[in-house]
Formats: sequence, C-alpha cells, structure tokens
Amino acid sequence: MSTFLQLLLKGLETGAIYALASLGIIIVYRTNFMINFAQGTMGMFGAYIVTVIFAKMNLPLVLCILLGIIAGILIGFVVDFVIIRRTKRVSGSGKEIITLGMMMIFLGIAPLIFGVEPMRLPKLIESGNVSILGASITLNGLFNIIFGLGVTVALFLILQKTKLGLAIRTTASSERTARLMGVPTKLVTLFAWALAMVLGTLAGVMVAPMTSVTTALMDTVQVSAFIACVLGGFQTFYGPVIGAYIIAILGNMLSYYWSDVWGQQILYIAIIIFIIFKPVGLVGKKTIKKV
Amino acid sequence: MGNTPLATANRSLAWRLWHNHNLRFVLFGLVIATVPLWVSMGVFKTSWLGILGGTVIYAIAAQGMNLLLGYSGLISLGTAGFMGLGAYISAYVTGDMGLPWEVGIIAAVVICLILGLLVGLASLRIEGLYLGIVTLCVAEVLRKTFDEFTAITGGFSGKSANFPTLLGLFKLNQGQTFVLLVVVMVLIMMLTWNLVHGQLGRAFHAMRGSQVAAQAMGVSLMKYRLVSFALATAFAALAGALYAHFTRFVYPSTWALTLSLNILAMVIIGGPRSIYGMFWGALVVYAVPDLFLKQIPVIGDIGGLAYVFSGVLIILVVLFYPGGVVNIAQDVKKLLRKITGKGKKEVSGNG
Repeated sequence: MSTFLQLLLKGLETGAIYALASLGIIIVYRTNFMINFAQGTMGMFGAYIVTVIFAKMNLPLVLCILLGIIAGILIGFVVDFVIIRRTKRVSGSGKEIITLGMMMIFLGIAPLIFGVEPMRLPKLIESGNVSILGASITLNGLFNIIFGLGVTVALFLILQKTKLGLAIRTTASSERTARLMGVPTKLVTLFAWALAMVLGTLAGVMVAPMTSVTTALMDTVQVSAFIACVLGGFQTFYGPVIGAYIIAILGNMLSYYWSDVWGQQILYIAIIIFIIFKPVGLVGKKTIKKV
Repeated sequence: MGNTPLATANRSLAWRLWHNHNLRFVLFGLVIATVPLWVSMGVFKTSWLGILGGTVIYAIAAQGMNLLLGYSGLISLGTAGFMGLGAYISAYVTGDMGLPWEVGIIAAVVICLILGLLVGLASLRIEGLYLGIVTLCVAEVLRKTFDEFTAITGGFSGKSANFPTLLGLFKLNQGQTFVLLVVVMVLIMMLTWNLVHGQLGRAFHAMRGSQVAAQAMGVSLMKYRLVSFALATAFAALAGALYAHFTRFVYPSTWALTLSLNILAMVIIGGPRSIYGMFWGALVVYAVPDLFLKQIPVIGDIGGLAYVFSGVLIILVVLFYPGGVVNIAQDVKKLLRKITGKGKKEVSGNG
C-alpha cells in the first residue's frame, strides 16, 4: 500500500509538471488556433534564465523564479508582437511550422547566450522529507504537487470568474465573433503567449532539479504534454490537465508494476488504441463537419 | 503546362526531350552526382560529401512527407520514428544476419510499410492534429524501443553498418554510395511525379480540398489514405536504411521529434507539392547551416547559430514566401522580364 501511495505521489509530482506544460499548449491552441511546438523549448529557455540569474547574481531562488517569470512575460509579449501577430492570414499547417521555427530559434539562442555547459538548479526547498501513510516524499515534491494543483485551480478561476477569462473563452469559441462583439482579441493572444511562456518556465524550474539544465531539458515534458492534450481532447481547457495527470500516474505505475523498460511504451500504445476508439479524447466533444 | 497533346506532338524531338520530366530528373541527378568528383578534385571539402549525402537522404524522406502533407493534406510527426526503424532493420539484417544489402533495404521498407498501413488505418478515425500527435506517439514508442531493445539496436552506444555491397560483388566507397543515394532519389522523384500526375494524384488533390466532396465524387478515403501513409512511411524507411549505410552509424537520439519537425520544415520551405522543392528544402534546412554558417569566423563556431538561421528562415518563408524556395528561379525570371520589358510571354509553370 505504501509503495502504491509512493508511486501515486511521485506521479502527481510529474503530473503537475506535465499539466502546466499542457495548459500552456492548450491556452495557445484555444486562442490562436495553432499548436505550439515551441512550448517545451520556451520552458527550457525560461528555466535557463532562472538558472543563470541564480548562478550569477546570488539571489534567493524564489526571487530568481520571480525574475524568470517577469522575463517570461516579456518574452511572451515579444513572441506575440514580432511573430504571431503576422500569422493571421497563414493557413493551417503553416502556423504550426512557424512555431517550429520559433522552437529552433529558442534552441539556437540558448547556447549562444547561456553557453553550452550543463547547469544545475537546486530544489526550491533544499531538504526535508514528509511521510504520508508510510509513503515518504520530499518537501519539495509535496510543494510541487500543491503548487501545480494551485496554479491549475487559479487558472480555472481566472477563466471562469474574471472578465479576462470570459474574453479568453469567447475568443476560444469563435475568434471572429469575439472581435465583432468588441473583445480585444489581440490582448487575449498577447496574454495567452505570456501565460504559455510563464507556465513553461514554471514547469522547467520544476523539472530542472531532477536533471541538469541543458537545451534538452524539456524534451520529455514536451512530448508528454502533447500526448496529454490529445488524450484529454483539445476542445476543453480541463481535458489536457486530466490527461497530464493520467499519463504521469499511469506511466509511473506501469514502469514499477509491469516493466521498467517497456512501461512507457505500453502506456503510449494504450493511449493510441484509446484515441482510435474515442478520437476526440476523454472529454472532447465531437465537432460536426458542415459541407 | 498549357500545351495540348497535339501541340506537344508537333514540336521537335529536341524540344520534347528537353520537356520530358523523367529526363529532367535524370539530368538533375547527374548534376548532383558529380559532387564526389569535385571532392576528389579538391574543389569541395571532403566533409561536404557527408553533408550533401545527408541532404539527399532527407530529400527522400521529405518526398514521402510531401505526398502526405502536400498532396493529401494529412499530417504526420512520425517520420523520424520510421526512418530510425528502417535504419535499424537494415543495419541488423546486413550486419548481424549477414544478408546482402538489398535484402536489408527491402526488409526495412516492407516492415515499415506494414506499420504505415496500420497508421493509415488509424488515420481513418482520427483527424487533423490529433493524427499528428498520434503519429508522434508511434514515433516515441519506436524511439524508446531503440533505446531499450539493445539486442537489435545496440542501445545508447549505437549500431554500426557498412557501405553497401551491390549484388554481392561491388563494394562501394563513400563517393560511390553518394552516387547510389542520388540514383535512389531520382527514382523516387520520378515515381512521385508519375504517381501524382495520374489518377492517384487527382484523388489526393480531391481529398485535400474536401474530404466530403471527394467521397461524393467516388474517391475512397480509406484506399487513398492508406496509400499515402504507406508511401510516406516506405520513403521514410528507405531514407533511414540509406542513412544507416551512408553514415555507417545509427544512434537512437537521432530519431527524435526534432528530426520529424525538420522534415516537415523541408517540405514547407522547399515548397509543398513540388518535386524538386524537397531537395532544395533539405539543402536549406540541413546543408546550408553546416556548409556556410560554420565558415563565418568567430560566431560560426557556436553551435546554436545554425538553428537560429533555420528558425528565422522557416518563419520568413511561411510568412512571406508560402510557395517555397523552389519558386525563386521562376520569380527571379519574372522580375527580370518585368525589368527588361519583355513581360508579354507567358511564364510556364513548373512541376
């Protein structure tokens, strides 16, 4: 039982990371109608900024993360201003290719600015373990779980209760109608990209202590977040979050109980089969095609 | 274009030969096949051979992606996985099993083709970007298998392969293998051109335009989606198998999402629905950063510059030049005509 709980807690921690990244993807997808392939690399970039500030300026980590978030917001603004604004008339897959271009730019700029040496970022809470019903978890892990859930809940409150959230939801359902109704859709996309960058940075900062900070920091997170979006369905904001937690928890469980080597593959194959039988994802709605 | 069969028949033999597409592909291939000659004469650096060989290999994989994305309007992010699978199968069949090179290539293509058919079947139920990510899922399963299935793939330490030995008699060196790559690419270009200018191509066009309309016109979605996925994965597997025998080493980390995205970028930059465009796209995305950017003093040594260059170029092409770099020659010609005031003659389109 305690092993199970241990795995569950570890899964929740990974799930929090995946959830933040997939929220970044879905918020951009719903407001800009494009899949952001650069989500992972944007997070990597943000994590690098935090790491470099921490290494160079000798500030407490919390302050570094705050500075990283501010930098993330600014970068998000720049991305929207310089690139995304101009893509309004680009058709279907062209938009996705543009995010691919952004991904390459981030991948290229990171070593130019931050150097090629792998860096280390410590945990936010350096040490300490808690034991819950026999399962032990680091304080930092527990904090990550709560923080991930907290950010998700806060985002949903913003989406459901505030005027900004209403604007986002209106844009998501129909960009043109939203514009006709006087919703400042440009502001909405600006906010979406800044938010995506911030969520990516947070996910990056959470992953960083588990490995070292390199340009490949977010590769796994990125792929998992995409698959979470498909599993949960692109039509809702909460679907991908559910998908993210399912992937993380099931991935951990399968790796432990079934096979350390093949667990992840089995999970992915199961997801493919699930998608074949339910092509719109867990909570997706089927859109009716009009001729 | 715009020539009726009758008009073509009345032209001279030379004109007809010059406008024969298959012949043009061969000419194109002949030009590229001279690269080893230039290298041996010292005009090109030795490293160029490897880079241009890679370009040709990626152009083959991109041709499959072109059929899928350009012609049929289906998206796949699994190209890298299938390329990797092809590479490992061929390396295993020729290396560990000791079978001839041809058997390795055929095994790679056939096995991947079957997998491609399965993905094609899945694509009947899954639409748009869901399909893209499901294919990504397939590629991830394959990539993780490359890491873990050490008996066949050699795991992280990689797997070695040899230059091909044709028909068991002719042992090729790097330059000759390069020529072989070009021959395969030209054959693939001819095959693609002839496929898409026949019934298959028209069915693909109909499918891309509107699936509902295509079905109403009697185009079987199932048949043509399967065909386009099968062809795309077969081309990818072929490219992967050639990669194994050209670079002679296969690492699992090569076959990640970035490679699939790069091949997507080659199609978009080169110009979707153009046959030559795939080579130009591969050249721009893969070779130009390596060939030229590294020559720039000081900043050229930093690895990231090539990525930034490709990234900026991709964005610029999508935003301002959606036809792809394949049209540059045409547009420059048009511009020159405009400048010299000879704008009356109609410009003929290219394949």
